[in-house]
Amino acid sequence: MSSPFAEQLDTLIRQRGVLGCLVVGERDGIIVDANLQVGVDGRAVAALAASLYRRARLSARAAGLGGVRFLQLEAEHGHIWAAGRDELVLVTIAESRAPAGRIRATMLQLAEALT
Amino acid sequence: MTLAIAEAWVEKPLRRFVDDARVLFALVLHPNGQVLGQHGFTRAVDVMGACALAAAIHASADHLGREVEGKPFSEMYHAGKERQIFIAPAATPAGPLIVLAVFDGDSSLGLVRLYFEELCTGLRAAAPAPQSAGPVIQENFEHELNRNLAILFGRAPADPARPDPRHPIA
Repeated sequence: MSSPFAEQLDTLIRQRGVLGCLVVGERDGIIVDANLQVGVDGRAVAALAASLYRRARLSARAAGLGGVRFLQLEAEHGHIWAAGRDELVLVTIAESRAPAGRIRATMLQLAEALT
Repeated sequence: MTLAIAEAWVEKPLRRFVDDARVLFALVLHPNGQVLGQHGFTRAVDVMGACALAAAIHASADHLGREVEGKPFSEMYHAGKERQIFIAPAATPAGPLIVLAVFDGDSSLGLVRLYFEELCTGLRAAAPAPQSAGPVIQENFEHELNRNLAILFGRAPADPARPDPRHPIA
């Protein structure tokens, strides 16, 4: 039986350069559903990305900037993107060659449906 | 950071776990309740109580798991209103240990589970060989139990072969 997020994750994983995408609980950092390429440590990424997103959200609120819509982390060999709603976070791991703009737009659209 | 240890080999992995997982309290203990290291507690009586309870909870879950699933339950987690508790066994060459961690919203279950795996790896690598660890339940068990608590709270030297003149063992 597929989860309510399977279709959203399928949409993301089909993008060029995407290594994995996950729906994670923001508070507990536990994977709700994931679509990952072999070799991607989903549990570690889920726990750390959820913590990062939560802290970014709290930082933005403390700074009086409102909610966080999209979090982008640029690393040496790729990206981690996160967008959240209702205590769920959609996380995407991608190589540097991945089309950032298109994935960002897709994630923001998909995050609206996270509940 | 209020980290105290009774066995030197526990220090490095426990310190790293506390730093990385951002837990409020942590205990590493034998399944018999004897403490090896702790973080966050300020009173020996609290460590003693937490160790006894963690050992009892672990033993109960172990047997309950065998009853209902044919094997011991491994990790246990309970979420309170403000704080959450995680209890899990860690296998080492010196025998099985129990780890108890208490954390709040600054950490998460995912982070604690992630760094617990690293703690297990660190404990496995640092633990002494089984022959030098001695039996889990010794004739002088109560003395050992109290000795570790005394070491943790600075009332006894860590190595009994080299007594600290400031803290002579009775």
